Amino acid sequence: MNPTETDRVSDPLFQLNVVLWLTQPLPQGSSIVPLLHERGFVVYAISPPLPVPLDLQAAAQSARVALQNSGRPDVLLAHPLERKFAFIECKASSFGPNSNTAEQARSFLLMAGPRAAEVLGLDPAHVRGSLLAYLVPAGQTSALRTTLEQLQRDLNDFQMPAGNFSVVGLEMAALEVRLIVDGQGSAFLSLASGSHVIIRFQPETDPRPLYFIPYDPDVTYPSETERLFCKRILFERIHSSVLVAAGRSNTPADILLSVNDLLNDAMFGMYALWENRDSAQHMRGLCKQLLQAITRAVNGEVPQAISYDPERGWKVALITDEHRQKVIDALTRFSCETMNLKAPPEEDLFDRP
Amino acid sequence: MILKELMAVPDIELAQIKDRHAMIRLFDGYATERMEELQAEKLKRPLVKSHLLEILDSHGPKSESLQVIFARHGARLNPLDESLFLVTDAKEGQIGFLEVLRPRIVALYSPLRSDVLTRWVRRTVMSNPELDYVWFSGLTFGVLWDLVAQLSRPNRFTRLVFTHDSIFDIDGPERETEEEPAEAEETSDDDAQEVVERRATSFRLVDRVGVIQNKLTAMQRLYAPLYAISQLRFPSPVGRGGHDFYDNGRVTNRSESFRDHRSHLLFVVRIYEHLLMATEQRAWYSIQDSVGFPGQFRKIVGAPITLRFKEPLTQQVFEHWITATFERKRNKFRLWGHPLRLGPTKVHVYGVDRHLWQPLFLELTSTGCTAIIPNGTCGNTVHRLVTNIQRYLDPGAIAFIGDKLYTQMVKESANTVHYEPNRD
Repeated sequence: MNPTETDRVSDPLFQLNVVLWLTQPLPQGSSIVPLLHERGFVVYAISPPLPVPLDLQAAAQSARVALQNSGRPDVLLAHPLERKFAFIECKASSFGPNSNTAEQARSFLLMAGPRAAEVLGLDPAHVRGSLLAYLVPAGQTSALRTTLEQLQRDLNDFQMPAGNFSVVGLEMAALEVRLIVDGQGSAFLSLASGSHVIIRFQPETDPRPLYFIPYDPDVTYPSETERLFCKRILFERIHSSVLVAAGRSNTPADILLSVNDLLNDAMFGMYALWENRDSAQHMRGLCKQLLQAITRAVNGEVPQAISYDPERGWKVALITDEHRQKVIDALTRFSCETMNLKAPPEEDLFDRP
Repeated sequence: MILKELMAVPDIELAQIKDRHAMIRLFDGYATERMEELQAEKLKRPLVKSHLLEILDSHGPKSESLQVIFARHGARLNPLDESLFLVTDAKEGQIGFLEVLRPRIVALYSPLRSDVLTRWVRRTVMSNPELDYVWFSGLTFGVLWDLVAQLSRPNRFTRLVFTHDSIFDIDGPERETEEEPAEAEETSDDDAQEVVERRATSFRLVDRVGVIQNKLTAMQRLYAPLYAISQLRFPSPVGRGGHDFYDNGRVTNRSESFRDHRSHLLFVVRIYEHLLMATEQRAWYSIQDSVGFPGQFRKIVGAPITLRFKEPLTQQVFEHWITATFERKRNKFRLWGHPLRLGPTKVHVYGVDRHLWQPLFLELTSTGCTAIIPNGTCGNTVHRLVTNIQRYLDPGAIAFIGDKLYTQMVKESANTVHYEPNRD
């Protein structure tokens, strides 16, 4: 698979990871320009569950305005000194005012509006400004701006206080990824309007940074190749967690591998936040798919080294130092590259962690 | 002097030493004798060496856990007091004394011959994920050298060794070699020397502190391998000679005072421990609760580690580096992972530090390396990475933790510790 073939800027997982990298402290001259960090922004929360205030939910119901009662913007940025909050949502493309996504957008407009402090559970004095910012491919910005203007107007017409919004574009130019900032974004983020280079890369090279969040079952990947590539990253991270657990153990030992722990390790703790039951089950299925493959490979070299107990999960038995070394050697020789990543995880009727 | 003429095991009975005071008296007297022999160019017994080791036991080097860690590989620690142990090995016999210098760092003092001791320490460290060397990178030595220049009289003699070996800058595939370089041994057999056709720098510079201070920076600008300091002598303030610090935490006492030797270890170890903690505090990535809503609002904290090469690697060198590191079990960087190719000179590796068994996420390119270390990963992983990059890839590489220069962090760590060479 060649990851450079994919249109990166319309990939929500790439967009999300880019936003996270833009808030990282990096030295001058890095291939990533951490614009948001330089302007004082930090990641306040990733995918936080936020409610629409109840009275606004009721008002929307009365006015027959469709919105979601709660939502999770992809990232919540904060400027601790200026007490400002930016609700960031990444999208592959624009959407129309009558789409399902518009219901989510109405909720985000209300959350990021004058009631933002209440939504965030903060003292109003601690929230001096808030903004909803969509990150989309540069070619989608004007269509999305039109949609959001209409949604904002509709809400205000029904005395539901919508917040300000910005539509930030992402575009790939020759050997650069650029951020296109509009007027609202410029004022809020203290960035000049227009185009900013955020990533520089070499010819024939994928511009993606290391992924903090490698996989999300809820996003629409721009291609099957990209989905498989992200699945590979997830598998590599789970595989490394298994290896770390065996490597750190002294013999004799039985190491218990919990699917939840492995997924949380691989996702920097984000797995625990997945409320979507189907998504969480999908992730557990993926983890089990990998562990089954690892078990087959390792047990082929060191019989019965790994076993599965439906109640307790996977167990790696390390009997002696020599046995431990053989298990580690077998684990290091395994590569998820040899797996058929296209195969879906097996359904587990008695899905247990 | 040919080292092998020295006795492998000195004829002193370490088991007769019953307390700290006796150990210090023994090594003080021993050091004085050796200095006299060195001055007469008739060294009869090996010098006292110390090996600084980091203990990765999450509970800290408590007496019992230390004993358990070393016992796994046949070493017995007999306590002399709460933080000092006599070390004996089931096969090798008496090794030396182990002292807990700081919560995470121990020193092994030994009069064994260098090659015998180094082999024993290497075997113990390599087979034990709870033990690691203390790693002084060229960048760290650069800051320590500034301290030597500041604290020593300009007319004192010192010694620096520079080691850089571009093992990936080769025409053919690299040989499978030991992961840790063996001790250099002097040989008169020039015929047996391999033909080296890659940049390989290894030389020692002995001169007065003031002379080196005036020249070194300019020389480093002219020839980058001089940034790769791999040994540095702290001149002893109490007499002739000094204390030779090696990049892997070995320290040879070439002074006439063991007390002074130990003081220097303590001084450098305090700096190192501070650096370790500062690195971890700044670099560890984790998801933490934002204030006010435990379990609800989670943010990413941490800072990436960036190593930037002075000159970009050629595609061929980059390819050799990736192949030699990730396709061989025994590799200089002791890393494991499957490189995900993202371009001719860019790979991502969601891998593992194979010595400490810690996760490590790497972006490797022809211009440098970016690393993410998850919460709990030992700072030593970072210092070993910097040391190896300077030694094998680019001696002039600079490093950052977040947006802060690594050398600045070393300087700040050094500023927290006062130089009191005669303090016990």
